[in-house]
Amino acid sequence: MTLTLFLEQMFNGLQAGVTLFLVAAGLTLILGIMDFVFLAHGAQVMIGAYAAAAITAATGNFYIGVALAIPVTFASGYFLEYLIIRHLYQRDHMDQVLATFGLILFFNEAIRIGFGPAALFSNLPPSLSGFVEILPDTPYPTFRLGVIAIGLICALAIHIFVSRTRIGAVVRAGANNPEMTAALGINIKILFRLIFATGACLAGVAGMMLGPLTAVQPGMGEPLLILSLVVIIIGGIGSVRGAFIAAIIVGLVDTLGRIFLPSLLRLFFEQATADGAGPALASMLVYILMAVVLIFRPTGLFPAKA
Amino acid sequence: MAGFITFLFLARTGIRENKVLWLLIAAFALFPIFTHFANLPFWNDVAMRIMLLGIAAMGLNLVLGYGGMVSFGHAAFVGIGAYCVGISQFYGLTNGWLHILFSLGVCGSLGLMIGYLALRTSGIYFIMITLAFAQMLFFFFVSLEQFGGDDGMSIDRAEFAVIDLYEPLRLYFLIWAALASISLGLMFIIRSRFGVTLRAIKSNESRIEAMGLEPLNFKIISYVISAVICGISGALFASWQEYVSPDIMHWTRSGELMIIIILGGLGTLAGPLLGAIVFLLLEEFLPLMLGEIAPTYAENWMILFGPLLIMVVLFGRGGLLGLTTQYLAREKSHKTEEG
Repeated sequence: MTLTLFLEQMFNGLQAGVTLFLVAAGLTLILGIMDFVFLAHGAQVMIGAYAAAAITAATGNFYIGVALAIPVTFASGYFLEYLIIRHLYQRDHMDQVLATFGLILFFNEAIRIGFGPAALFSNLPPSLSGFVEILPDTPYPTFRLGVIAIGLICALAIHIFVSRTRIGAVVRAGANNPEMTAALGINIKILFRLIFATGACLAGVAGMMLGPLTAVQPGMGEPLLILSLVVIIIGGIGSVRGAFIAAIIVGLVDTLGRIFLPSLLRLFFEQATADGAGPALASMLVYILMAVVLIFRPTGLFPAKA
Repeated sequence: MAGFITFLFLARTGIRENKVLWLLIAAFALFPIFTHFANLPFWNDVAMRIMLLGIAAMGLNLVLGYGGMVSFGHAAFVGIGAYCVGISQFYGLTNGWLHILFSLGVCGSLGLMIGYLALRTSGIYFIMITLAFAQMLFFFFVSLEQFGGDDGMSIDRAEFAVIDLYEPLRLYFLIWAALASISLGLMFIIRSRFGVTLRAIKSNESRIEAMGLEPLNFKIISYVISAVICGISGALFASWQEYVSPDIMHWTRSGELMIIIILGGLGTLAGPLLGAIVFLLLEEFLPLMLGEIAPTYAENWMILFGPLLIMVVLFGRGGLLGLTTQYLAREKSHKTEEG
């Protein structure tokens, strides 16, 4: 029984981790390469989720909804960069924080006006709403398993793209030294815009996958944004590999901590103390982890820049 | 005696150099007379909120504006200050002076701890780490069920010995006194050797290091001072609201404090207070304005505020205070050219 529970929670942690990675992958490039503090990345998650939910509701087909929502999120990132973000690269971090904070307010309110303040719930197609036996007598939801698979495929694709292709080499060069890369004849403006749009697209995919698992509501991307910032700090800003490892660690620590920490504390403390402190400590766990990493490695586990 | 004379002298030059700030503070002292005769008691409440937000923003401005450290987690200190009041009341401690002392101690030591850890980093890392620490504290209070958790806890106004805060305007002038004394204190800090060094670190850190000073110490001290000021704002906020919840330390509140500073003018004494006035007036009037145009969407005033904020960042450098001083300087140079 405990083993089943543990395995189930491991998978849940893994699923949270890969979702987190999809958000963090784009953000780490935006932070690392463009040196741009982009807080509205959570809004991209929300846009993805709403686009998928709305198109699914209109067409009645979940797969068409997701397939059409992906270009929508890419386009939203592309135009956002073109309209506002590119004017802010030369500004200091404080200005970037405030402007993207303004974007969050705008997007949340726009969604609230467009779709109402209540949460949307999207139903899964029958082909995805069943269970798969991952071990004998251990059923696990098919959709969550699918999320893990898609997350891992995306991670692998990003890894191959960044470390094996020509464009990936340019991206890495850009992370290392943008001026020199530009001097070598790379159009850094277009590169930035494409990275930005791709990052928005990946965050959107995370939103689409989260939609059926949680509620689709205004501001839904913000907790994910904060967690992905933690991921990026642990992994090292600008490092995709670091973001992946840190995302899995954070996903597992957060999920397992919430489930097992209260009962673990009960072994050492009185019931009342453990029940009070358990949830509090569990929700702080990832932040404590981040603080510990920073004390020993101030630039994260896998810093992109030497 | 000599100390007193120096104090008077400094206060005089302070008033001369920070006219806007002292004008605003004087205006807040006289404001209740206006609301009394205009029969607008509601606006006393707004004014109290402005002063409370102004105090917190002034605290943040010390690290943000003068020290150049973009801390994105200062709402946590406001929240801790408020919870210090709430939790001491929960355990039967009702003396307001003790509450404030308690808030000072807790915010100071937390500020020291967070500052010590976070200030090892800089740039984007620093922004993210301060944010993460604030989130950590936010979730800590969300999950503390005995103090209301997510829903927060109702509290009574604190007891300040002879001052009964339930009497009209007592709380108003308590907040006003805090605002005035913190303004005066900050003015002294910024003019002192410490303040000059802090500003020098902002413009060239390695140079200060080469002069044999340790920039980290100055940064940490300023971080602690700003945490303490935010804590006082939070402690008074608890009495004003008669209610404490984790919402007060939500990360968007930290963003709001930064917005207030940017609106008013970064790195100026009067800026945060001016920004708080503008921010709260926008919060009051944007819904009314929107209600005139599109009545169903009056609640969604943020849809105007978001783009407005982006505009301010893109086009309005130096905030309101910066714009006015630029305008005044231009007028002056025109006059001298003509004369």
